[in-house]
Amino acid sequence: MSAPPVTEEQICAYLAERFAAPDLVLRGVERIAVGWSHETWLFDASWTDGTIERVRPLCLRRDPGNALLRELSDLATQFRVLQCLDDTAVPSPHPYFFEDDPAILGAPFLVMEKVPGVCPSPWGRDGRRFYEDAATRGVLPGSFTDALIAIHTLDWRAAGLEFLGVPEGGNDFARGEIAKWRRLMEATGAEPDPVLVDTLCWLDANAPATPRLSLVHGAYRTGNFLVHDDRVSAVLDWETQVIGDPLYDVAYVLSELNRDGTDLLSNLVERDAFVARYEAGTGLTIDEDVCRYYQVLYAARSAVFWMSASQLHASGENTDLRLARTAWSIPVVLDQAATALGY
Amino acid sequence: MALAPDELLRSLAVALRQRIGPSVDEPFAKTQAFMAAVILEKLAGQVANAAADGAIAASERAALVAELRDEVAGNATVLAALDVLAADGGDAAWNRAVTALYAERDALGAPAFDRLLGRVRVALRARLDRALVYAS
Repeated sequence: MSAPPVTEEQICAYLAERFAAPDLVLRGVERIAVGWSHETWLFDASWTDGTIERVRPLCLRRDPGNALLRELSDLATQFRVLQCLDDTAVPSPHPYFFEDDPAILGAPFLVMEKVPGVCPSPWGRDGRRFYEDAATRGVLPGSFTDALIAIHTLDWRAAGLEFLGVPEGGNDFARGEIAKWRRLMEATGAEPDPVLVDTLCWLDANAPATPRLSLVHGAYRTGNFLVHDDRVSAVLDWETQVIGDPLYDVAYVLSELNRDGTDLLSNLVERDAFVARYEAGTGLTIDEDVCRYYQVLYAARSAVFWMSASQLHASGENTDLRLARTAWSIPVVLDQAATALGY
Repeated sequence: MALAPDELLRSLAVALRQRIGPSVDEPFAKTQAFMAAVILEKLAGQVANAAADGAIAASERAALVAELRDEVAGNATVLAALDVLAADGGDAAWNRAVTALYAERDALGAPAFDRLLGRVRVALRARLDRALVYAS
């Protein structure tokens, strides 16, 4: 079920109450439509405090009721993660409010800081050029790597992130990730392609042990963070984070899934420079075999993601035809998985 | 004379891409019109080749089942899955065969498992390559 529409007046009334500012107004309201996840509004909330004018740049994200990955992540979890990351070295937006009560804005929502920066899509021509230019200047590639180092060196227990679930020893982390994406696949109600089933069986049979645990973003790439003054100003999209093997993120950075016609990792970073800076910053050694394993897992994840997207349309929950078209993306990522498995 | 189904789908795609889409001002609706054209073009290709692709797939499947039956004669679980696959080329039947092989890995022994799975993968690659013709 999709959530009912929400108006600027409703948002304004809510914030006026929360900030105890009856004259609060919204300025520069922008509704951004990126992806098929949560609805997002950007604006400045402005009010007077005695004789002082207060301005707070804010971002409101609301659960549309038919978002992709809703089985894996909800706004309550995202809000709690942001609370844990606040005042750590991980660049992230300050969280203000989370409301679970649909009576307020029709669906659960969170309000967080609107961090300065831009987030060009790496899949379009303009976005690719943005990151290519940034790569030439040389500052953003280092910042990209440093933000990942900050995530992986975070004391996640001290930050309170144990609530995400802590894998037991051995290959519990990898097996848990496989089980999670298998559940999402089964939740679509569609019969998977046998190449995907073969891939998941292979992953289960070959799951590596995880010798160290860290916070893992789960989708660390260009397009999932904001850039301001050639630096990562905030890591976004805290929807697939997990406590697990940091090489899970590294594998994604190293993979071909998120670069298009370039040798630059994530359209941005030279491989050797990334590896050297990451290993120096974390003290970890990148195990290429483990990364190759996780890249197969990411290919399976991508196939499940496209299955989920196309089923969202097939079920009638979302009529956006771009979702229907994703059914033809599944063979592309399965081709990558099959090739990785040697066929 | 009526158009063949694939030709009709292509003509609908052309109408959406060249006439309907460009005349729509609202951005989301315009995107939807063009996306409908993309989908119809893909469907047209699949419809046009459905009979030929289906015949090739059935032939490959029959050859695979015949070959594997001889190798797994003593394994009832895999044999049962192959019986299903012999009668049905749908994803569910293929999945049953794949999962049966993994489930019986120890019983089959590693060399036989690798050989059987390798043979199944040759057939899966052929299926995947046919799907990739229309993928993007």
